[in-house]
Order: sequence, then C-alpha cells, then structure tokens
Amino acid sequence: MDWSAVPGYVRDNAYLGIVPALIGLVISVPLGIACVRWRWLYPPVLSVTSMLYAVPSLALFIVLIPYTGLTDTTVIIPLALFSLCVLVPNVVDGLRSVPDPVRQAATAMGFGTLRRLVRVELPVAVPIVIAGLRVAVVSSISLASIGQLIGVYSLGYLIVDGYQRDFLEEILVGGGLIIALALVCDLVLVLIRRLLTPWQPRRSKRELLPVVVTAPAQARELSRSAG
Amino acid sequence: MITFEAVTKRYAGGTVAVDHLDLEIPDGQTMVLVGPSGCGKTTSLRMINRLIEPSSGRILLDGQDVAASNPAELRRGIGYVIQQSGLFPHRTIEDNIATVPLLIGWKKARARSRSRELMTLVGLDEDLARRYPYQLSGGQQQRVGVARALAADPPVLLMDEPFSAVDPIVRATLQDELIKLQAELHKTIVLVTHDVEEAIKVGDQVAIFRPGGRIAQVDAPERLLAAPADSYVENFLGFDRGIRRLSFLAASGLSLDDRAVVDDEDTSAAEAAQVAREAGEGWVLVADGGRKPLGWASADDLEAQPAGSRAGEARLEPYGHTFSVRTDSLRAALDATVLSRAGRAVGVDEDGRVIGVTSYERLRVAIHAAERAADAAAGRGAAGSATSGGTPSGGAASPGAAADGAAPAGRAG
Repeated sequence: MDWSAVPGYVRDNAYLGIVPALIGLVISVPLGIACVRWRWLYPPVLSVTSMLYAVPSLALFIVLIPYTGLTDTTVIIPLALFSLCVLVPNVVDGLRSVPDPVRQAATAMGFGTLRRLVRVELPVAVPIVIAGLRVAVVSSISLASIGQLIGVYSLGYLIVDGYQRDFLEEILVGGGLIIALALVCDLVLVLIRRLLTPWQPRRSKRELLPVVVTAPAQARELSRSAG
Repeated sequence: MITFEAVTKRYAGGTVAVDHLDLEIPDGQTMVLVGPSGCGKTTSLRMINRLIEPSSGRILLDGQDVAASNPAELRRGIGYVIQQSGLFPHRTIEDNIATVPLLIGWKKARARSRSRELMTLVGLDEDLARRYPYQLSGGQQQRVGVARALAADPPVLLMDEPFSAVDPIVRATLQDELIKLQAELHKTIVLVTHDVEEAIKVGDQVAIFRPGGRIAQVDAPERLLAAPADSYVENFLGFDRGIRRLSFLAASGLSLDDRAVVDDEDTSAAEAAQVAREAGEGWVLVADGGRKPLGWASADDLEAQPAGSRAGEARLEPYGHTFSVRTDSLRAALDATVLSRAGRAVGVDEDGRVIGVTSYERLRVAIHAAERAADAAAGRGAAGSATSGGTPSGGAASPGAAADGAAPAGRAG
C-alpha cells in the first residue's frame, strides 16, 4: 500500500465534489430565475431534476463513456445533473424568500426588473442558495467515489482497492477521508456564507454543524428569517 | 399638484377597486386617504407612481400624465414609504437611505453624506449608519424608510400605511415627527391609512373612501368633524367627533375667570373664602407670589382655618394638568376641566403663570362661539362637501378653505 498517493486522491475527490456543484449552480441560477418568473415552468423542471436524481450514477457513467471516455468529465456531468435536484429548488425558494415589501420597495424606488434581480433579489437569496450548495457539494464528494468503478481516481480508490485486497484498514481510511473532506468543504461553505451575508442575524453555533445533521432545520430557519 | 381625473381601476374578474375617482392633491400639503380595507385607497396611491396602472382615467403630476413617463424614472422622483419599511436586508442603513441617490448617479461619497444628513433629520443616531436593518427596532426601521424616501429630495412623498406596523406609542411619536418634518419640508404627501385618528392628526386634507372605491368626503379634518357629509362619514369618524373637533379650536378664545385666583402671600384664608363665595364656585385657586399655581382650596375648608392663617395653609387639592392659553386647544382646556376635582382648570401663559381658570359655563360659551365662527368661515366648504358619491367635494376644489376657520388651534390634543 502506497500511502503517498493519498493526498492526490483527496485532491481529486475534492475536485470531483466541488466542480459539479459549481456547474450545477451556474445552471440552476438562470433556471431558478426562469421558474420564478414563469411559474408554470417550475413543476416540469422539478420533475425532470428529480427524475435525473433517480438515475443510478453508474448507469449515467456508462451512457456517457462512448462520448466522453474514461475521463473526469464522465463523472462530473452526472454529478452536476444530480446537484440540480437540490440547487434549483433552493434558488427558487431563495428568490421567493425575498419579502414582498422589499421587492415592492425596490420597484417603487425605481429599480428595473433586471437591476432589482441583481441588486436585491439574488443577494437576499444567497443564504438559501448556499444552503443548497452545501448539500450539493457534500453529496458530490461522496458520489465521486463511484467514479472509481470506471477508473476515475478519487478516495474511492482506497475503498475499491481495499475491497479487492481484503484490506479493511484501507477501506476505513478511504471512507473516513471522504467524510472528513465533506465536513471540511461544508465548513468552508458556511464561512463563505458568513462572509457574504454579514446582514444576517447571527444564529447559534449550531449552523457550524455539518449539513447532514442540520440541513432540514436550517432550511426552515433560513426561510423563516428571510421571510 | 397631483390630479386624479375620473380614474377607475377594474381588475380582471370585474372587481372595481377604484371607481371614477376625481381628486386634487395640492402642493405642499398632506392628503390622507382613509377608509376600510378594500376601499381602493392603497390602489389609488399606487397608481400615482404606476405600481398599478388605471383601467381608465388619467393621473396628472404637475399637469403631466404619469402614463406618459418611464415608470422607473417617474418612481425615482417620488418618495415611497411602505408599511413594513421594506428595507433592503442586505444593505447597511446608510446604503439603504442612499438607494435612490445612487440609482440616479450620485457619487458614493455624496450619497453617503446625504444619508447621514437624513439620519439626523429623522432622528436616528449616526452610529446606526453601518448597521443592518435586522439590528434596528421597528420604529427605527420605519424612520430609515422615511429617510430613504426623502433621500433624493423628491417633491412628492407617497406613504402606504407607514405607521401601522409599529406599537401605538412609537406610532404616536412617528406621527408627531412627520408633522414636524412636513412643517419644515413642505412636501406633497399622500398618506394611506385605515386609522381615522391618524388621518385627522396628520392630514391637511382627508379623503374618506367608502367601499367600492368611491370618495365619501374630502375636507380638512376639522371640517370633517364639524360637518360630516353623510351618515357613512359620521359613523366612520366615530362617536366622539364633537370632542375631537375641539382639538381644532383654540383655547385663546376662552374667557377665563381671574377673580377666583388668590395670592398665597397676601391673602388670608378668610379673605380667600370670601372670594370663593363671591365667585359662587366654592373653590379658589391658590397661587404663589410668582402666580405659579399651588392648588385648589374649597371655601368650606378655608373658613375652617384658624384666624390669621394664609390661604395656602388650607388643604390644597392638586390642580392637575394646566393648559396653555395661547397654544392649546379647547379640547385640552375641556380635558383639564373634566379631570379637575374642582371642576375648573388652570389656564397658564408660556412661563406657566396663571392667567385664569375655566368653568363649564365659560367653556360652553367659548365652544359655541368658536364653532359658529368656524362654520361661518367655512360656510362655502361645508355646503360643497355635502356632496357624496364619486364626485369630489367642495373641500377638494377649494382646499384649505376650511383651514382658514376661526382660530384654528393647529393640531393640539
């Protein structure tokens, strides 16, 4: 067992976790805006993103291999698509969380639609969008390990290799590092949110707990405080 | 000047929110639109800055049809204050206030210094400039909302139930400050409220809406109280409009009794009792050498004092609250009289020195004289305002006519 390769796996795994979530964000923001603007669009979009999420990742990898080969791209595309399932609703909820008086005041002050969106609605939506991003990043980090089955390296290597060689410690290290990586990325996102939203009432230290523990409660709290 | 010309707003589905509204809002005055919910008052307000478009009719701002202007530009020239302040949660207080100046291209430094200026104007501590809205109380947020609306110094200010989300004590303070601010700034203010007390307190003119989006009466507050156009307006104003009307009649018209006031330093108890008996009231007001009131002494008690004692040695009833003869209203005088154990109240000058005391009979005479004078002065307005339905009353056509009524006491009480 060559432990010197482990930092490389960590890096690869982080890359495969963060990049799909960011791509998902880039798609979700305009899509979410469209869903708020044209309400009829939201139910079909929601069905499609949920259906995509239901497709097994391995199946998607195999469908993509003829086009993108055994590359990072083959893993990144499905993970980005999966992230839409949390990101689009969060963008929509975020935009809808803008209190009516705030939106009305912006209009009455003389903001046009676009300016209001960029200067008021999106900034106010940031906390809820980042809450979605936390879930997307954490799930991408753990799903990335499945890419190992098609030869895309990540911490999943330690699990696959450990299994093949019947080497329990390696499996545990691999799993443990994936969890640790997810926790670290999650914490970083919380800190980014704090930096971006100094205007939010400081809540309890509980918000520093990992997303998997607190996500539902936080989503509720966020929508309450924003509404 | 804002003019509504036969403005109707009909929603899809046939609901008529505003029905052939004609209304003139003169420059530099506060026009309050008041009525029950669903009467179209808010819709009317929002049509001025085109948040809502009328179905028919025109709204003119200084003679220009607002429909012809670019909505965003129009709105930047009209201040807007909303019920729950509607502050941008992600912006600091100073940046919230600087919103419109920045939108119309002011330099950041100038906009910021303007923000500080306005914070002082609306009574906010400058230390709050860098805070965020969530760190402020409801009343403070509402002040920021007013400052934000005034930032680019627009001639017109629209206020949509600006004080209804704060507690009654803060509300009263904010109303007082709006009145003070308006006395300084002379904006054309259109304020929507469902609170008729608020309308009467802050309005130069009040338009009372009836359900269905029609105006029942437009008039100066004192004229509404004196001469409601119909039973709807009368009911809307509430049962004690006679008392409330006294707020608009000055106490200076009251003839005060100065015989029943004795100086503690040179009046003996026996002499004071004599004065009380002669005045026929059974009470005298004992004042000190500087004519500051000390309290009421009853004739019976004065007579019971040992010979040679001064008037002030009798048992003195507290004189309660006094009223200022030159600045208070007849309502303040009446209230002080009602509250007094002696059934008489003390009128004082600016320095708190006793001028004389009231009696119910003197109040009655003064009230009737003041009402007759006010009615005579506003005769034309009162006749015109008797119209009902969608047509504007005489009060709208000749705004301020009623305000010239005899000895208005301003907004005391």
